[in-house]
Amino acid sequence: MADDGLAHHRRDPIKSSVGNVAAQRRRQNAVTVGKERRESLVRAKRLCRVGTSGDSEVSIDNDMMIDEEQSILETQASSAVEELKSAVVYQGKGAMQKRVSALRELRRILSRSEFPPIEASLKAGAISFLVQCLSFGSPDEQLLEAAWCLTNIAAGKQEETKALLPALPLLIAHLGEKSSLPVAEQCAWALGNVAGEGDELRNIMLSQGALPPLARMMMPNKGSTVRTAAWALSNLIKGPDPKAATELIRVDGVVEAILRHLKKADEELATEVAWVVVYLSALSNIATSILVKSDVLQLLVERLATSNSLQLLIPVLRSLGNLVAGDSNTSCAILVPGHEITDRVIEVLVKCLKSEHRVLKKEAAWVLSNIAAGSVEHKQLIYSSKALALLLRLLSTAPFDIRKEVAYVLGNLCVAPTQGDAKPNLIQEHLVSLIGRGCLPGFIDLVRSADPEAARLGLQFMELVLRGMPNGEGPKLVELEDGIDAMERFQFHENEDLRNMANGLVDKYFGEDYGLDVSTE
Amino acid sequence: MAMEITQFLLAAQSADANVRNEAEANLRQLQQQNLPVFLLSLSVELANNDKPAESRRLAGIVLKNSLDAKDASTKETLVQQWMAIDISFKSQIKELVLRTLGSPVPEARHTSAQVIAKIASIEIPQKQWPDLIQSLLNNVTQPESHAVVKQATLETLGYVCEEISHEDLVQDEVNAVLTAVVQGMNLAEHSVEVRLAATRALYNALDFAQTNFQNEMERNYIMKMVCETAKAKEVEIRQASFECLVSIASTYYEVLEPYMQTLFELTSNAVKGDEEAVALQAIEFWSSICDEEIELQEFDTPETGDSSPPHSHFIEKAQSSLVPMLLETLLKQEEDQDQDDSIWNISMAGGTCLCLVARTVGNEIIPLVMPFVEENIVMPDWRRREAATYAFCSILEGPTVEKLAPLVQAGLEFLLNAMKDENNHVKDTTAWTLSRIFELLHCPSSGFSVITSPENLQRILAVLLESIKDAPNVAEKVCGAIYYLAQGYEDAGPSSSLLTPYLTSIITELLRTADRTDGGDSKLRSSAYETLNEVVRCSNIAETSKIIAELIPAIMSRLSQTLELQIVSTEDREKQGDLQAALCGVLQVIIQKFSSSDDTKSVILQAADQIMLLFLRVFACRSSTVHEEAMLAIGALAYATGPEFAKYMPEFFQYLQMGLQNSEEYQVCSITVGVVGDICRALDDKILPFCDGIMTLLLTDLSSSQLHRAVKPPIFSCFGDIALAIGEHFEKYVPHALQMMQDAAKACAHLDVDDEELMDYGNQLRRSIFEAYSGILQGFKNAKAEVMMPYAQHLLQFIELVFRDRQRDESVTKAAVAVMGDLADALGPNTKILFKDCSFCAEFLGECLQSDDEQLKETAGWTQGMIGRVMVS
Repeated sequence: MADDGLAHHRRDPIKSSVGNVAAQRRRQNAVTVGKERRESLVRAKRLCRVGTSGDSEVSIDNDMMIDEEQSILETQASSAVEELKSAVVYQGKGAMQKRVSALRELRRILSRSEFPPIEASLKAGAISFLVQCLSFGSPDEQLLEAAWCLTNIAAGKQEETKALLPALPLLIAHLGEKSSLPVAEQCAWALGNVAGEGDELRNIMLSQGALPPLARMMMPNKGSTVRTAAWALSNLIKGPDPKAATELIRVDGVVEAILRHLKKADEELATEVAWVVVYLSALSNIATSILVKSDVLQLLVERLATSNSLQLLIPVLRSLGNLVAGDSNTSCAILVPGHEITDRVIEVLVKCLKSEHRVLKKEAAWVLSNIAAGSVEHKQLIYSSKALALLLRLLSTAPFDIRKEVAYVLGNLCVAPTQGDAKPNLIQEHLVSLIGRGCLPGFIDLVRSADPEAARLGLQFMELVLRGMPNGEGPKLVELEDGIDAMERFQFHENEDLRNMANGLVDKYFGEDYGLDVSTE
Repeated sequence: MAMEITQFLLAAQSADANVRNEAEANLRQLQQQNLPVFLLSLSVELANNDKPAESRRLAGIVLKNSLDAKDASTKETLVQQWMAIDISFKSQIKELVLRTLGSPVPEARHTSAQVIAKIASIEIPQKQWPDLIQSLLNNVTQPESHAVVKQATLETLGYVCEEISHEDLVQDEVNAVLTAVVQGMNLAEHSVEVRLAATRALYNALDFAQTNFQNEMERNYIMKMVCETAKAKEVEIRQASFECLVSIASTYYEVLEPYMQTLFELTSNAVKGDEEAVALQAIEFWSSICDEEIELQEFDTPETGDSSPPHSHFIEKAQSSLVPMLLETLLKQEEDQDQDDSIWNISMAGGTCLCLVARTVGNEIIPLVMPFVEENIVMPDWRRREAATYAFCSILEGPTVEKLAPLVQAGLEFLLNAMKDENNHVKDTTAWTLSRIFELLHCPSSGFSVITSPENLQRILAVLLESIKDAPNVAEKVCGAIYYLAQGYEDAGPSSSLLTPYLTSIITELLRTADRTDGGDSKLRSSAYETLNEVVRCSNIAETSKIIAELIPAIMSRLSQTLELQIVSTEDREKQGDLQAALCGVLQVIIQKFSSSDDTKSVILQAADQIMLLFLRVFACRSSTVHEEAMLAIGALAYATGPEFAKYMPEFFQYLQMGLQNSEEYQVCSITVGVVGDICRALDDKILPFCDGIMTLLLTDLSSSQLHRAVKPPIFSCFGDIALAIGEHFEKYVPHALQMMQDAAKACAHLDVDDEELMDYGNQLRRSIFEAYSGILQGFKNAKAEVMMPYAQHLLQFIELVFRDRQRDESVTKAAVAVMGDLADALGPNTKILFKDCSFCAEFLGECLQSDDEQLKETAGWTQGMIGRVMVS
């Protein structure tokens, strides 16, 4: 309320000079730099060594927690590599001891900070000395420390990981049966880090024969070894080429090992094994067809029913989904309505739909949508299950991505399987009942979304309603829920397909005759 | 009971300073002796038609100032004082000011309208003035009311609406107010003054009309009245009415569809033929519509697609008529508009609106604008050339790069030649266009630039470095072009080398430009230095460190010259301050740049003593803006020197203290707090001797009601910095610091969730409290961690509260999950029971582990490990 009357609207001109904004931006930047340094200092205090699999290995070793200025650390790394170099060359008395302690020092430095001095170590030539320390016949302790150093280097940036190339053959060689378990496990860990980096390195490792020994490591019942091997394998078969997954499934004893671990192992180990199953089933049709013939489906369902560990549930549910989606025989041959396993599948999916976790809900809806795409019997099965009420609720309350998956399920429930491009045949009973239970607004909401796929789904469903509701009720229902407005938004939409669909529906069902129709009533 | 104070009030306006001072002292004394009587006396004075207009006016102003102040804490005191006054006094005062609305003296009516609104802002939310609205409405609706009463009352209603929230009234009252206001706009029934007051009141009342705008009939009625007044004979009424339309455009965008045809005609007529004040508002209407649609487009993610209001595509639908109308406005330039920042006219508003339209409709703008550009850019009339250039510039943001790249590449050479145009205006706009091109279409680090070859760049720089010598306004825009040109090469790897050969001449020309004296004010200099900063910041350090190293002594010598300047007037002092601020800024950027590698850091270390000495001398000049920039530079220097910084502390500490005490210029205080953090990281435990002093000031700042709240989060973070540096020695501060942290944590829960700015502050505060805990816990980890045990429970509760908050910011999440790990890490097995009872922890960790943010996932993984270790212990 200025004394000189009203304050008039006035915005800043877009044309202006650079001075003021720039100064403010610069000061902001200077303050931000301070904040970043605080963050990295605290992070350095917190973290020592973190595995790339997401489950961190926390060292309790207190002297590893000491923070160091990065530059000091780098200097230390270079001199540790120097030390290693002289230890490798030294052949006199106590040579082995000298090498081991040099390796241990380097390993400690590489484990010490959030940002280990990998680059400095590489510059100092660490790799070639570490490779020398991996030579055959070396004592276990030396092998272990060398592989550990390489593990930490492999956890670095991409180009740093690539530096491990010369070490790969020896790391793979030490996976063999003749190695001691700790050595083999450490090598598997290093290789897992390398495999996680990208498909180029994966292909090299595959061509060097990394897969069979890792697969064999998965067979015994030794917890941590199997877990590391499974984790490394899941990294190794990530694709995109399905060859590795196919190769793995064909290794003698692998399927049995997977089944055994899924059945008996603790949750942590089962989690890693489940990830292997995820990639097997996602990439390789051959693997999928072998797996569905086994008991794997039952075991996955069992895990889903009994576990509450999100880490485990995610890969298990995704495996289940892959198996159902990947092989159309699965739903027909195995998920036969009436069989016990089928009811169990639906039951665990219901459990996941009820879960608090968005990922589980979404994946469960995705699995259901695949089942709902099957035969009429499958549709009836879902329709009459507890899932339906949950799905209807999710359609109106869940976040967008879940709603979309849910809409696929519900949409699929209303159409019978078709041949060719013909308009899908309706299952009117389902449609009428779903509409009666209030699902139309949910679909119309999807029509309004900016996501074309969701919008198409919404429009398709609307088409079903307009065409399929008895007594020509469809148009009225759509109008009542503001569906016309939703469709008219596409009048000038950039997506031609959607535009035509929407305009076609409006013209066909809400053309000139529509109003007359109502008024003559 | 009231006193006779006319004499004092008149004397307080005397030309004689002695008389004036004495009268003011007398008034102050009366105020302090007995506030109720004093306020009553003021209102009696204001209400008395027999008193001179001058004393009544001042009485009103003093009364108003006794109820409200700009500064929040003063305001709070005034409000408390008013509420403490006996009700019989307050009733009399209110009665008197209401009566004054009928006074024949316009000044008295106006002032009492303001006073009523101030009292209303205190009393209405407390339900202590229930009959105000009714008595105001009576004034307006009773047919026998005089026109002046109606006018003053409508003005009052407007002010009251501005002061209070519509939630303070019941819907019936809101309806009645709106009805009265809108009816007051009626042409047939009321005088010009009444209609003007009503239209202005509506502007303030629009926020109240949420419910009414949902109702089609009421909305139609309001819109009809606004549109009618927009065609009133009187220009003030038209202007007020268009201001209402602007406000409606942003507040009620979603219901505007049915009125758009009419509104388009109204605004278009106004832009074409009405007076400037009205035309400006008509353009502003469309700019506001653009703002709304741009916001809808930016935030219309699939996730929220259904909850945000619908996008009506008004601009897209209107563009074919709107754009030509705006292009026409570009031709109405004023001769000197580039010389004066305070100018705002049709062509500037139209151009700004055109830029917004381009951002709204994207590619579709191109065919609507390009013919205008092509036709006019070659015309002999400078206005046409300038308008064409501006139009071209306006479409640079909005359309896709694919569409723009060929246009800009084809036009670049033309623009470069136009830098030699005979007209200053054309050159100004051309240079600005170049800067926008580089800002928007030159980004080698992401692989795209309109500058396609080294020859291209050479030609561009030749033109820019020549044109920077042109008139000051043109030179300023050229600085902008160089600024964005350099910025494009930030982190651009090998292509940043392209600029290296020109660096010396760019720096030389920028320094020369900074030294120019024909700029009139400091704008050109500030643009030149900021451009220099950006050039340094974005340069390829490996190749340019030698050149930049030479810049250090040059800047230092300039800075030391400022200390020799003759200071006679406050203007001199201000000028010196600006210059020092700019130069400290350059040094800060260089220090920061050079600290990034050991090779270059040594350059800074060698010069550190001299630089620091210079900064200390600058501090001795004590200008606040310098304080800020010099502080930032010192923070950078501390990082570069590390523990060596200790030797500067004895001398520097006094200025650090001054900064921490500067509660008036809170930015200075805030930046100083940040510098304390920098110094902590540099000195580590060598900061210990200074900690008592620093902690005392920080705790004082926190408990001060005077200090701006924005400083509080940095202070909490700073606790963490200090604790990390001094470890177990933080123990003696724990009781005080933790008390403050717990209080602040409690306060977080009471912030208004509808106030976006406040939520933002709340997030900063939460994050900083967590940072404080993290620093303290990590600091105590190796010794005396048990000191923190009594606070663990509270911390976990606070984390849970934050976890349950669905609107929590990602950075808060990060800090919260980290501090949970710090708690487990520092206190170890002692926390086992706490974590066992803590059901939300697993849920929280689960959520974080699923995040797409790698750093968050990693921290959550670490925390999980730490808690896991505690649980198995």
